Amino acid sequence: MRVGEKEPYVEVAEVGKVYRSGTAAAIEAVSSISFTVARGQFVAVLGPSGCGKSTLLMMVGGLEAVTAGRITIGGEPMTGPRTSIGIMFQDPTLLPWKSAYDNVLFPIRVLKRPLACYRDGARQLLERVGLDGFMHKKPHELSGGMRQRVAICRALIYDPELLLMDEPFSALDAITRDEMNELLLDLWQQYTKTALFVTHSIREAVFLADRVLVMTRRPATIVEDLMIPFARPRPLAIGESREFNEICGHLRERIEKGHYRGRERRFEANMAPQELVG
Amino acid sequence: MTAEYPVAPRIAAPSVWRTGKALPDGRRLRQLRPAILPAVTAAALLLVWQIVVTARHVPAVILPPPVEIAHELWRVLPVLLHHALPTTLDSLMAFITASALGIGLAMVITYSPFLRDMLYPNLVLFQLIPKVALAPLFVVWLGISSESRVAFAGFVSFFPVVISAAVGFANIEASALRLCRSLTATEWQSFMMVRFPFALPAIFSGLKIAMTMAVIGVIIGEFISAKAGLGFYILYASSRMETAVIFAALLVLCVIGVALFGAVALAEELVRRSYGRQ
Repeated sequence: MRVGEKEPYVEVAEVGKVYRSGTAAAIEAVSSISFTVARGQFVAVLGPSGCGKSTLLMMVGGLEAVTAGRITIGGEPMTGPRTSIGIMFQDPTLLPWKSAYDNVLFPIRVLKRPLACYRDGARQLLERVGLDGFMHKKPHELSGGMRQRVAICRALIYDPELLLMDEPFSALDAITRDEMNELLLDLWQQYTKTALFVTHSIREAVFLADRVLVMTRRPATIVEDLMIPFARPRPLAIGESREFNEICGHLRERIEKGHYRGRERRFEANMAPQELVG
Repeated sequence: MTAEYPVAPRIAAPSVWRTGKALPDGRRLRQLRPAILPAVTAAALLLVWQIVVTARHVPAVILPPPVEIAHELWRVLPVLLHHALPTTLDSLMAFITASALGIGLAMVITYSPFLRDMLYPNLVLFQLIPKVALAPLFVVWLGISSESRVAFAGFVSFFPVVISAAVGFANIEASALRLCRSLTATEWQSFMMVRFPFALPAIFSGLKIAMTMAVIGVIIGEFISAKAGLGFYILYASSRMETAVIFAALLVLCVIGVALFGAVALAEELVRRSYGRQ
């Protein structure tokens, strides 16, 4: 396994997850996954929908219990949610009665930190993501992209060391998604968090990450661990380069191979062509 | 077809309105329609009532004309107000007790699956019983005091509160609770900051029903046993064949009912606004 030069921050060792519900046969969602993420590294987990990558992310975030193996973050074994982790979910999960600004400050209220110390920070973050004119708008007055920007700010406001993202932009249109990816990279470079990003889009993974892990369908395992060589800052235009597209092609091949091994030909039809081609 | 005309009037007002100088703009009248139309309808009904009763020589004991009711209202108003006070206070007491107990029990049901399975089906079953039939039992148990009527009215109005609050607490978005968990929120925090505000519309719809039920409960209690109160006074007036006084008392009762309902609606507005602004 390839690991960044720096010390590992997230260590996932032989982790598995089996769902048992009543008398029904147990379902193995994740099977013996091991990898590490170095401090400050941006790692994307790439795989088809429903392959268990979200489950993996929720286990790293302490929101789901592991049924096998162990997860260590910053040297401490994972036992439950902790404040050194910020999570962006698939949907923005904003509180509908709160303004964008108050939604960003929500974690501060929960963590009972002094609000006064974070008001400026919240304002700056919202300005940073281009929402200066929308601070006092309620979520229903914002577009989908704007809501996810508020969710990014909310995940960053309490300064977590690790940022977990569960397909945060999958519900957005392609153009907005590109914008969000660029914005995310910008923010990540400024705040230099360790990041774990789950996606089913090959291009998104290659554009964002230092390293891409490819996961197969259930039971999910990692079949590829690839360093992405592009220097930062990365302009959107690198998506046009030959090297970028070669990497995408390679990853697509790996996903397909992993898929054959999982003997489920069906998912090819489930996956939109542009997601496979990248 | 309309496209052939360069300037087509957006709302076709009747020609009388367009030519009449008193109503230069038919649209303004339309805007006021929600306020004017019901008032005009009620006035017309009263007029028809007055004309029919007078023209047909209906005895005042059967159906007094509105003018006479107004006259009687003015005459007995001090007495009616004297009797309105215990009715209003008892209703309020019953409502407050039912709200507190109802929301409290809904919280218990929300957090204890055991108690929910034990109690909820029975609560729904009880909701279906015509509880008014139990009024005499409260006299047997608690006597003819004011407490007996408050207890009965509270009992009647308790069920809509507990059921709507339980539904409201249960209907929360799972993702919002997951966000709270990821931020290491305590159960109490996620209740106060997320579950409760999410449930507010449901809770208040239950409270509004409870408020009207409380007044009904108190009046029924006063019918059965009381020495004061509008319910008592209506019975008293009917025993003296003073039908106009009964109608006058009903009018006062209507005003009380509307005022109490309005107070709950106002409270809802204030509470929801306070959550929005925090």
